[in-house]
Amino acid sequence: MQTPDEIIHQPVRLKVMAAMNTLDAGKWLEFVALRAIVEATDGNLGAHLITLENAGYVLVKKDFAGRKPRTRVCLSAQGRTAFSRYVMALQAILAPLNPDASGFDDNQ
Amino acid sequence: MTTTVEEAAQALREIDLIRHRAAGFQDYQAESGQLLLWGLAYVVGFALTACFRDYLIPIWVVVVLVTIGVGTWMASRTGADGARVAWRYLAVIGTFLLFCLALNIVFWPLTPEQGAMLAPMLLAALYILRGIQLRPRYMVIGLLLGTLCLGGYILLLPVFWPWMTLACGGTLIVSGLWLRAL
Repeated sequence: MQTPDEIIHQPVRLKVMAAMNTLDAGKWLEFVALRAIVEATDGNLGAHLITLENAGYVLVKKDFAGRKPRTRVCLSAQGRTAFSRYVMALQAILAPLNPDASGFDDNQ
Repeated sequence: MTTTVEEAAQALREIDLIRHRAAGFQDYQAESGQLLLWGLAYVVGFALTACFRDYLIPIWVVVVLVTIGVGTWMASRTGADGARVAWRYLAVIGTFLLFCLALNIVFWPLTPEQGAMLAPMLLAALYILRGIQLRPRYMVIGLLLGTLCLGGYILLLPVFWPWMTLACGGTLIVSGLWLRAL
């Protein structure tokens, strides 16, 4: 049986990676928007972003929008590849049960 | 640690759910900019019409052309496929304007107030349909826009133009801010 990436295979981090993977390459998403999409608390999301950042899967940028502090997140090329591999690993686990599972498109 | 079939299936379902939610978020974000733009255009158009009734046609020609120009520029900046989005945007706006023009021709002569109701009512109907098919917030926007504009036309005709500044332009601006807020 295959082992999906353990860093991604955690509920909140999985949601973060899935949400970020819907964006075009190099596009940044604001922390507040990501928090709303993954339905996590500030602290919880922040902690998981650190894990993903340390793994090189996301880039985190802190700056100011006017006078307001802003945190933005971007999926790295390494993160996009890792997520793609992760989805393929999940499909491989399901493949013996469902021959159509291999048709799952991880980019749409 | 190995992953069971159930866990794998659950993870894929979760990815689909988040993808759908993220797409909705992006859709609302893109729409909010256009709602704010057209809301501002309607505020300016109706306010100027209230002040200078004799210049109704030149006012709206300028307002619509400027808004289309800005809207096309905004559409072209969305994502990597900006040029295609901009052309699609122009096609949608063009269809909308042609439909309003066709209604004017079919029902001519219309009073200025009747003519001014066509675009907001069509817009309200389109948002309600979009809300039914895609995302619920659009239905709320359509219902609110349609109700306020029609209510004003029926009950507040003596103050129609100032009312439409708020009912149409104001509703679109508030809706744009609502879509932007999560």
